[in-house]
Amino acid sequence: MRRKPILPRVWHFASFGAPGVVIYLCFVMAPILISFGYSLTNHNPFNPPSEFVGLENYKLLFQDEQFLTALRVTTILTVIVVVVPNLLGLGVAVLLDRKGWLYHALRSVFFTPVILSSVVVSIIWTKLLDDRGPVNDLLRAVGVEQPPGWLSDPDLALFSVASIVCWQMLGFCVVVYLAGLQGVPAELLEAAEIDGAGPVRRFRAVTWPLLAPSLTINTVVLLISAFKTYDYVKVVTNGGPGSGTTATIAFDVLATGLDANHVGYASAMAVVMLVIVATLTTIVLRFLRRREVDL
Amino acid sequence: MTTVDGSRRSWLRPAVAILVSAIFFVPLYYVLVNVFKPGDLIAREPASVPLPPTLTNIHAVLTRPDGLFWVSLANSMLVTLLSIMVLTVLSAMLGHYLARSTRRWTKVLAVILLAGLMIPPQVILIPVTEVLRLTGMMATLQGLVLFNVGYYVPFGVFVFTGFIRGVPVELEEAALLDGASRGQAFWRIVFPLLRPATASVLIFLGVWIWNDFIDPLIILGPSQGTTITTGIYRSIGQYQADLGSVFALMFLATLPVLIFYLALQKQFVKGLTGGATKG
Repeated sequence: MRRKPILPRVWHFASFGAPGVVIYLCFVMAPILISFGYSLTNHNPFNPPSEFVGLENYKLLFQDEQFLTALRVTTILTVIVVVVPNLLGLGVAVLLDRKGWLYHALRSVFFTPVILSSVVVSIIWTKLLDDRGPVNDLLRAVGVEQPPGWLSDPDLALFSVASIVCWQMLGFCVVVYLAGLQGVPAELLEAAEIDGAGPVRRFRAVTWPLLAPSLTINTVVLLISAFKTYDYVKVVTNGGPGSGTTATIAFDVLATGLDANHVGYASAMAVVMLVIVATLTTIVLRFLRRREVDL
Repeated sequence: MTTVDGSRRSWLRPAVAILVSAIFFVPLYYVLVNVFKPGDLIAREPASVPLPPTLTNIHAVLTRPDGLFWVSLANSMLVTLLSIMVLTVLSAMLGHYLARSTRRWTKVLAVILLAGLMIPPQVILIPVTEVLRLTGMMATLQGLVLFNVGYYVPFGVFVFTGFIRGVPVELEEAALLDGASRGQAFWRIVFPLLRPATASVLIFLGVWIWNDFIDPLIILGPSQGTTITTGIYRSIGQYQADLGSVFALMFLATLPVLIFYLALQKQFVKGLTGGATKG
């Protein structure tokens, strides 16, 4: 049914819609278009005028060792951050899915890092994982003579950074899975039990399919936030150790565009980043949504 | 059968739960105990309980000659409060437009707004600094507030639109018949019914904007006032030797969010899971 709008259309948009839309257009949509425009030039604010170079930046980008490394770093980080908190989060949620003050208190333990600033989390872990920090002190105390350089070893640093992100994101997954578990009807589980299904079978046949929406939200949120990882890299390793062993694309965009002032080139990087994020999110959403069943 | 099974291993679940949580809690414990320990003890006994606890670290941060903590706190408060207030008003109204408008282009507008939910800030930050420079708002708090409003408005709209669809149009029509203006019908009749949505928007955006690092770092710039996160970041260099002060600063910076969270814990989790199940 098409009903008469309750407000005159133009007035409704001008007073209710426009203020938000205008600010959004100015600070998000216009900058995206500007970024796209810059990516076709060699713009450098300290060395004008800029020239139109067509797709040259994009061509260079895919021959650029540094960018390809950043792409690899981002991929590894994203895979770890999407998989690990999702898996551990599910485990912890199943473990804590009981009533009572104890389980409520323990849920808060897992959720606290979620409300901390990533800068605070990064600093805590920088101190903990320092070559002469408490973690390595402990390892030495139990007899490890050469404890690993968690943040100073080029082969290890990326995994240390990924673990820090996982630690902070775990609580988010726990809460979302716990909410999903509460939506599983007890009658269904009881029926399955009467039919002779053991705990593992009950989980696989009843609980897991009903957790599909929780899996979708966790995966998409983790994917987007992993892909734009910047704070942790900036604070914990500043892209190092060595050359770019932990520098994500998000980190490289700002290092190239703001520190080195190669705005044209950095914009091409940013556009590629946006395209990858949008494509991945769309594919993952499509794929996961198809699994969701209605009760 | 289950009771036998349950009573035989009833200690297992709580024991495992406590153990796993304890391991997870170690980094937080490390900060908490060391806030209240004198500096030399932190290096020697990082894991010991602070007995007797000292307030030296907290006192040192609060009385820094440059007033870093107080200036950053004031800036963070101002930016966060202004941003979430403007965001609530604008996204509630835009949500009303999207939920009530029958025009076809509102669907297009909704998609354009939803796309904003996945745009990484790095993609737009460089041009944003130029937009702000052009309008003379670069390195100002109002520039940061305006950027926050633009960047987070999609989230607010996303939350409000769903809730407004659940409010019957007849309520507004009745108010209009009774002589209310359109604005009054919305703010007096509809908006009070959106309390759960408003709580979600205020809580989430409050925590995100308070904790934000990259945007204040780049928009406020190196010389201008800092927020609490950029203040912490800038002081780790100077405090290298003085871990006690670093921890105290982080503790004090987190305290407002922690209180905010503890006070609104229920709504917080409800908002998170509400968003999750509605997807």
